Amino acid sequence: MAPAMALQVSLSPAELSYLRATLSQTPPIRLDHTKGPRDFRSMRAEFDVLPGANGSARIALEDGLEALVGVKAEVQRSQWQPAPGQQEKALSVAAGDVNMAEADGEDDARTKGHNTWIELSIDVPGFRDDDPLPVFLASMLHETLVADGQLKDKLYINRRFHWKLYIDVLLSPPLSYPLALLSMATHLALLTTRLPALKSEKDEDPLFDDDWAASLPLYPNSGRDGRAVVDKPPVIVVALAVGDNIIFDPCKEELAVADAVLAVACTSSSSSSKGVQIVGMRTIDPPSHLTPPGIPNSMNSATGGTAPASSADALTQRELLASSGVWTPPRGGMKRALLGQVSKMVSEDGGIGEEVITALESIELG
Amino acid sequence: MEYFSLKRSNAVDGGNFSLSSKVYVRSTKSGKVQKIVRELYLRQDIPCSSNLCRACLQIAPTDYSNKVAPFVLSDTPAGSKNFPSGQYLAPDTNAFLTGMDLFEVESAFHDVIVLQTVLEEVKNRSLPLYHRLIALTKNEGKRFYVFFNEFRQETHVQRAVGETINDRNDRAVRKAVQWYNQHIAAAVATRSKKSQRIPSVVMISDDRDNLKKSKAEGIPALTLSEFVSGLDNADELLDMISAAQERREVRTGKAEMFYPEYYSTSKMMTGVKAGTMHQGIFNVSPYNYLEGSVHVPAFDKSLLVLGRENSNRAVSGDVVVVEVLPKDQWKAPSTKIIEEETLNKNDNPEAEDGENVSSERERRALQEEVKRVHGQNAEGRPQPTARVVGIIKRNWRQYVGHIDRDSVRSSSKTSRQQQVVFLVPMDKRIPKIRLRTRQAGELLGQRVLATIDAWERDSRYPFGHFVRSLGELESKGAETEALLLEWDVQYRPFPKTVLDCLPAEGHDWKVPADLQNPGWRGRKDLRDLLVCSIDPPGCVDIDDALHARKLPNGNFEVGVHIADVSHFVKPNNAMDKEASQRGTTVYLVDKRIDMLPMLLGTDLCSLKPYVERYAFSVLWEITSDADIVSANFTKSVIRSREAFSYEQAQIRIDDAAQQDDLTNGMRTLMMLSKKLRQKRMDAGALNLASPEVKIQTESETSDPVDVQTKKALDTNSLVEEFMLLANISVAGKNYEAFPQTALLRRHAAPPKTNFEELSNQLKVKKGLELRTDSSKALADSLDLCIDSKEPFFNTLVRIMATRCMMSAEYFCSGTQAYPEFRHYGLASEIYTHFTSPIRRYADLEAHRQLAAAIDYESLDPSLHSKSKLEGVCKNINVRHRNAQMAGRASIEYYVGQALKGKDIVEEGFVMKIFSNGFVVFVPRFGIESLIRLRDLETPEPEAEFDAENYVLNVRGGVGRDVELFQKVQVRITDEKEESTGKRKVRLSLV
Repeated sequence: MAPAMALQVSLSPAELSYLRATLSQTPPIRLDHTKGPRDFRSMRAEFDVLPGANGSARIALEDGLEALVGVKAEVQRSQWQPAPGQQEKALSVAAGDVNMAEADGEDDARTKGHNTWIELSIDVPGFRDDDPLPVFLASMLHETLVADGQLKDKLYINRRFHWKLYIDVLLSPPLSYPLALLSMATHLALLTTRLPALKSEKDEDPLFDDDWAASLPLYPNSGRDGRAVVDKPPVIVVALAVGDNIIFDPCKEELAVADAVLAVACTSSSSSSKGVQIVGMRTIDPPSHLTPPGIPNSMNSATGGTAPASSADALTQRELLASSGVWTPPRGGMKRALLGQVSKMVSEDGGIGEEVITALESIELG
Repeated sequence: MEYFSLKRSNAVDGGNFSLSSKVYVRSTKSGKVQKIVRELYLRQDIPCSSNLCRACLQIAPTDYSNKVAPFVLSDTPAGSKNFPSGQYLAPDTNAFLTGMDLFEVESAFHDVIVLQTVLEEVKNRSLPLYHRLIALTKNEGKRFYVFFNEFRQETHVQRAVGETINDRNDRAVRKAVQWYNQHIAAAVATRSKKSQRIPSVVMISDDRDNLKKSKAEGIPALTLSEFVSGLDNADELLDMISAAQERREVRTGKAEMFYPEYYSTSKMMTGVKAGTMHQGIFNVSPYNYLEGSVHVPAFDKSLLVLGRENSNRAVSGDVVVVEVLPKDQWKAPSTKIIEEETLNKNDNPEAEDGENVSSERERRALQEEVKRVHGQNAEGRPQPTARVVGIIKRNWRQYVGHIDRDSVRSSSKTSRQQQVVFLVPMDKRIPKIRLRTRQAGELLGQRVLATIDAWERDSRYPFGHFVRSLGELESKGAETEALLLEWDVQYRPFPKTVLDCLPAEGHDWKVPADLQNPGWRGRKDLRDLLVCSIDPPGCVDIDDALHARKLPNGNFEVGVHIADVSHFVKPNNAMDKEASQRGTTVYLVDKRIDMLPMLLGTDLCSLKPYVERYAFSVLWEITSDADIVSANFTKSVIRSREAFSYEQAQIRIDDAAQQDDLTNGMRTLMMLSKKLRQKRMDAGALNLASPEVKIQTESETSDPVDVQTKKALDTNSLVEEFMLLANISVAGKNYEAFPQTALLRRHAAPPKTNFEELSNQLKVKKGLELRTDSSKALADSLDLCIDSKEPFFNTLVRIMATRCMMSAEYFCSGTQAYPEFRHYGLASEIYTHFTSPIRRYADLEAHRQLAAAIDYESLDPSLHSKSKLEGVCKNINVRHRNAQMAGRASIEYYVGQALKGKDIVEEGFVMKIFSNGFVVFVPRFGIESLIRLRDLETPEPEAEFDAENYVLNVRGGVGRDVELFQKVQVRITDEKEESTGKRKVRLSLV
């Protein structure tokens, strides 16, 4: 659920109703009428802004929402890992969903990393550390980062040591829903993260090259065999549904009238040949649920109507007036077909997911 | 929306960037790996420091007195064939690494620009070389200037993408040299329109790539040897270039490896942490150069490292990592004397083909060892052996030795042909060093200083280079310098910065007459006390003086007054630093190497008689039973009434006719000291013995005339007792005031295993029991070790027991638990050194701490820091030991000189037995020497060694048994030892 307090918009029921009507047109007219349903709001991004961090990025939206991400890596001693024979047992307990048969030896890479090797914290000025907003956002992001299992496996050094990644995010007080922005900034920061090059071998205490120029990117652009490796960190795309329309990267006013909000985490990986792979999907409780409903004339005694006698009565009346144009907060739920459509739009070849990932990658080049 | 970036932009400075950064990865000891970004602020006011340049004089930064640091480089630098109009040298890193000894030569290499890039690279590659380079830059005569090229805008070089650090640094060097050349040319041009002599700035590098590039860029550059060849005494100088570099180029194709490769650092670190490998200092047995031992923290006893292959190029003193060998390769320590020169006489230093790590003879010697071990019983149980798998830190220093005559091909003095010869180091534990030299003929018969440069896997002996010649073998100057170098004693005269710290009045300094003078603040006026000093005859640095007087209540007031050195040596000035480095004064037979400049040591601090001196006094009230009622510490002013020698004092005390107060005071001291001593003995203090001899020298030439064993008088122990008492009192006071940072001295109880051998020997040979459970038990059982027929036997046992002890050490109180403070030998709970601040740095530190403890002055921060004090302790412990060793070596040399040409028969005692020789100790001269079986008769007689009973049954013409503790008559002659070139006494059985 999204914490509502910060995202509360102050629009009247009439305004909400108007907004919803325009968004549900075909084609929809967005608040920023120059943008289509698939268009993202314009933003500024730069990377390597924190010289002392292993990787860093900063993305600012035009409305002033801004995220600064720093990635720091630290060598940590791994907990005792049981010998290969016992490994599957321990891991199936730890990771829960790892298939026992799969974990058996051959696919070692899948089983090397551990979720706790990545720590993510979000700092928002004016919020306490344990406020729901930063905690919720952090856990969403963390969940996405570990979902594909690639990142944590990259942190494996040897059986006794691993990198621990500290991802620290500084977020300006949110003016709109910040999840997508955070995710993109984190993505960019991870993309530019470099780790010192390892000099020691096997299970020795790790020893690193002291030349920073020799350090290796966490996500290399090209693999050793020359083939382009498309491994990229996951990124979250936020989509909303209004009626049958699907709109990506909504602003906060648009969120206020959404029927449903989806956060889709996707990543491009070498296993999927084209498009992107969806690694997670979450519905987000849209702030529209908390908007005050409009009072139709028929229920307003001031305009000649009769006020409903009980709340049950009021509900029934509203049900009947649902499509009359008077603002009623949506009651949630999403059609299966819409869900399928969103995931298709994100994951298809040349879809939103690929667009976002290539766009973020080209920042690095440009 | 106004967009701003968080990144710094260079556009601000108009493209002329004044800010740069340096990024690297730092791995900390605790295993953390950090990315470090250092910002560099580039500036334009770093001067070129050439006296030719006026522009730099304008811009150079000024110090607090508004003065520019004087420019270093000469305006008329020396020229050479290639650069007739003069040159400034700008050596690359490799030039310093291979030719540091060259740069230190006084006659050449002036006007050198040390680039910051180079300086930092040298620091990374070799810390000792870095320190030498820094010392050079401080030497005004050499005109070395450190140019901070990395900070100067014009010479700063950004690392290009994909460029290695090495290439970048080379480029930085070239860039700096190029800039210098342009700069100097411009400076000369502004000086006079007619351009006359424009000195070139010449890069010196052995890096081919760098030379090639500089040629392409038109930068003057030479290799080190090219440059040296153009100098006057090129032959001698060329010998001083390190061999390491050359060899790498000469021998490329050859693949035969004699030694196993070292493990990677990370592998060793992991192994050491996991406990499968061990780190320790590699020590070679002085009796057997093939047997090394490594003491590692994991085990009580040292691990043995046998044979060349296992010691794998480790040189005595290196910090190594070892791996324990499988049990079937364990061996007992050697009972055989193996010396390098007897086995490898015929090695040819030039030939490297067909060389084996263990020559045939070496291998045979090892086999015999193994055989012997296998026929062993429980006594000589095989001990764990280990092999060296890597070296953490080389502790190579400069070694003194002489050229092996047999290794010289042509000894003609005129031949300038380069040849490879062996240098046989004086220290038997160091392997022969291969030297490449063009002056072999001249070096024969000289004491030579050389260093080791490298020891590659494909070379049986390390390669090194010549540093300098100390002079003729056996000449006093050369031998004295040799032993100072061998024991790392700093003997150069005090630099000017140190002498600047002395009081301006010099010898005219006096205790101020005016009691209001700040010097009197907090000082007690003790000038009316009848103080006197008792020291060895001829002593000039008088640390301590004493007095005693009766108090009205029947008790005695006893005072120990110590020279107040801390008044003159303030913490952290140049003099203090020098003293802390020297650590102690070193006494040789004919020479004293002072810790503090003469003015202080022998005059201003020295408690000379009849003059007023500042002192630090410890005053006790003591009952007539020698119980201490109270102790008081104060800074004071005293006037010593007399300076006695031990003998004079003894005579005066014994002379009943002397009834003056001073003599009576001394009698009181004598009476109390005897009681104190008895108490100490009752508490379990050890009375140990070490062979001490005195050498009488002719006063003019200081040639040795006679050797005597030292006599101990009662007055010796009088002074000793009160010094001990003062030290103990001060230790208690300092510890109370600074429980974490008091500088103390401890003597650890020796581990039981140390005495195992001696107590077994005593049991088997004499039926005596040595109890070692406490110092008291040991002292008592040592008293019982008497042979009624042989009065010296007891002393002999004490000498041997002393060698089983741990050595006492300085430490900082915070690093040990209180029970560990104990001084085993003195049976005191706590102890420090306080009474000889003129000749020991530890005492000086104790003075400072005591002064702070009594609120006389505040404590310097350096004495508050545990880590700093630990560093000080570590250094003075080493210095202390080296000073003792140097002193002993000096005595040994003089004993040899005194016995030169003599032939004496003396009695001696067998101290140690090997299967092919034994060690005899001669009390009369305090010498011990090895007698090998082959010295007894040629051919070497057969012998049967009974290790259990310590008997060596010599057959053949000699036909006698030699057993431990046996009294034997030996003939003492002198000989020049072939291996070390030392004149040594030679013993033979009569």
